[in-house]
Amino acid sequence: MAGRPPGEGGGVPLGGPGGGESGRGGVPPNYRSHKANGGLSPPANAARRGRTGTTRTTMHRGGGAAPELPAPHCAAPPPPPTAATTPRAPPSACSAPRSRGAPRGGLARGGWAGRRRGRYSVMADSWPRVRRGARRSGRYPTRAAVKTVSDSGTNSGRSTLVKQRPTVFPDLDNDTPRIMLKRIIQTQPQVSPLAPQISKHEETEEAPPELPSKRVSSMVEMQLPDLVPEETSIATFHMTKKRKKLSISEFERAADKRLPQNQAQSMLDSTALARSLRLSLGSLIPPDTVEKRGLLRRPKNRKAIDMEAFEGGVEQNMLKRKAQNYLVDSETASGIPTAMLASDAEIMLSNTELFVQPQFDEQSHNKLSALEPQLSDSKTSAQTSKISDAAQEEARLVGLVSSVGTNEGGTRRYSADLILDHEHVDRMTHVSPKTPANQQEDKQDHSQQSNPMEQLSVLEEVVAGTAEHRASAGYSEHLEKKLTKKAELQITTVEDARVETEMAPSEEEGIAEGSVEHQGSPKAEREIAKGVGAGSLGRHSHAFSSSEKSGMGPLKEAVEQADELEDQVITVELDGPEEEPTVNETEDPESDEVSMKTPTFVRAAAYKPLLSTPRPVKPASPKSPLQPLRAKPIPKSSGATRRKTSKPEVASSLIKKIFSHYVKMPVARDAYKIVEKCCERYFKQLSSDLEAYTNHAGRKTVEMADLEVLMRRQGLVTDKMPLHVLIERYLPLEYRKLLIPVAVSGNKVFPCK
Amino acid sequence: MKRAAPRSTLRRIIKTHKPQLRLATNADLLVHLNFLLFLHRLAEEARTNAFENKSKIIKSEHTIAAAKVILKKSRG
Repeated sequence: MAGRPPGEGGGVPLGGPGGGESGRGGVPPNYRSHKANGGLSPPANAARRGRTGTTRTTMHRGGGAAPELPAPHCAAPPPPPTAATTPRAPPSACSAPRSRGAPRGGLARGGWAGRRRGRYSVMADSWPRVRRGARRSGRYPTRAAVKTVSDSGTNSGRSTLVKQRPTVFPDLDNDTPRIMLKRIIQTQPQVSPLAPQISKHEETEEAPPELPSKRVSSMVEMQLPDLVPEETSIATFHMTKKRKKLSISEFERAADKRLPQNQAQSMLDSTALARSLRLSLGSLIPPDTVEKRGLLRRPKNRKAIDMEAFEGGVEQNMLKRKAQNYLVDSETASGIPTAMLASDAEIMLSNTELFVQPQFDEQSHNKLSALEPQLSDSKTSAQTSKISDAAQEEARLVGLVSSVGTNEGGTRRYSADLILDHEHVDRMTHVSPKTPANQQEDKQDHSQQSNPMEQLSVLEEVVAGTAEHRASAGYSEHLEKKLTKKAELQITTVEDARVETEMAPSEEEGIAEGSVEHQGSPKAEREIAKGVGAGSLGRHSHAFSSSEKSGMGPLKEAVEQADELEDQVITVELDGPEEEPTVNETEDPESDEVSMKTPTFVRAAAYKPLLSTPRPVKPASPKSPLQPLRAKPIPKSSGATRRKTSKPEVASSLIKKIFSHYVKMPVARDAYKIVEKCCERYFKQLSSDLEAYTNHAGRKTVEMADLEVLMRRQGLVTDKMPLHVLIERYLPLEYRKLLIPVAVSGNKVFPCK
Repeated sequence: MKRAAPRSTLRRIIKTHKPQLRLATNADLLVHLNFLLFLHRLAEEARTNAFENKSKIIKSEHTIAAAKVILKKSRG
């Protein structure tokens, strides 16, 4: 304690001039002391500690004072009266050592750096002894110096302390405000921007006793007693620590506030996103189920086909044998003794009567009309096709019946039905094979005409069904042979042949990819010209066999059988076009799938012309005897794929790749078919447009300008989006170089314009 | 990863449609560009349709509706 008063005394005089020096100075006396004690360093503090914890307080105070200095407005509770009294006394004394303004300034500076001081105080605990002397003599300066130099180092601080001693105390009387300000500026502690102002506030808050002294810093009060500094020093010490804690805690608090906010926000965001995702995902039938259904379907179909086809085949075999007897006799539709057949049919078919025989022509009409739109619209759902198949089969039955009743009307319907049936059958063959068999059985009463038709339908359906399921290709081939034989034998009516011709072309068209319309029309024309016949049937069978892709073997066999069985002669021409599509079909596995799955609209397009043609053909062709068998069933081109000759197309894999890349979403397989069809139509449009533009320009070659005009008209190239930008964006580098002229060295431009 | 533009195929397609029409050198690249942009528009339209249906997969009906619109747009 002995040492203290001197220190305090020193502090007091310092405080006086300090207080008089400036607001800052005023504060500093106390603060200086505080700071000298605390900020100076640990040594000072340690010394103090020895006595009390005042050092801390002083340090704290000093630290608190420093920040408070510039904020004289901070209201701080007056220092304890004792502290207040003491400082007041010395102020007068402090006026003398004005020369020490510098140190005071430094002290003030140190005061401002109280925060740092606080921190350093802890570190400087090891200096207390070293600093003691300095403290005594010039606490303020030392403190100030330390504070000021705290950044640089304690040693230098000491030296500065010594230097600053003489000028610590501001000379209120002698120093002009200018000088004081100068000192302030010089000694202003480097406030680190990083130092959280929180500590400042904390210091202000926690250093109530210092506040009054700071207010003194408003160049009025210089009466900071030593006691005050002591107390403040002690307090500062504590305060600094508290400040520290507070500062840290404050920082943590702030951080925590931010973190939870962020977390909360993120949580909200995630929930929102999740919600949106859920909404978007929403109600969707998972594709798995669809696929499963599809997978499940197939085995069912196979079994059904096998069983039903076999049954059908057996029946047909039996019918065939019986029909052979009647072949010669049955030129006309109704010629064949129905009794025999009926009896046989009854025996064979009586077992299964799953379907009630529909017998209304009106129904058939309605079904027809219903089927056609179905055809054009439905491309996807198996269910619809199934339904349509069933409906078609019913319609077929009706058609058969109607055909028996009224030749023309019935045949038309029948043909249409058959065509429609084929379409659907091609695509979906779930129950189709079954229904025809059942229908067959149900048609005991029908004439032989209907029987062959049924057989044909069965044959067609079976073939179509088998066509879809390649797994059963072998079996289907076998069936095919049987069916072809029987079918050919059974052909008697022109209507049948006509129907078949219609069906055959339609089948082929449906099967063949891309060239449907072209092939269909020539075939239809030819058929019409020939008057159709069993040859069409044979073709039909050929088509079926080819569609099954069982290779040329079964095709040839079927053909041979057809030749043998059929009395009719089918022109080579008929075979020709048929062969081509069949060849194409066999050679291209994809085409079958594609043809079967896709192109409803292709078939729809094909049907309309076909449907129209039969009508004129029908009246032209009376009931003719069995049509001649084909002369040359064997297709000419074998092995070598002639796909490109029929119609060049952009590789479907490329289209799939590009489309899926642009769409960025999973795409159903059927959608790809539609995209391909769309591309074909697009190319058609494109070529006609380009031709128009080129002709308009009086040229015969399409140039870049024509293409640019096209893109401009399409709205792809605008004033904002020039062509070159599009080229750069979408085409790879190699093409860019070819299209965009670039200047290269040597005064050249490549590609040359 | 884009593949190379099927230049010969494009030429052949246009030749099939319009035998009397000729193509300048590198004009088929612009045709390919046009084709890509067409597919791009088609894909965007189909995607929009699928989103409107709250479907996560592009289905045929989305594509058909998109095709109708885009083909009409691309007529020039």
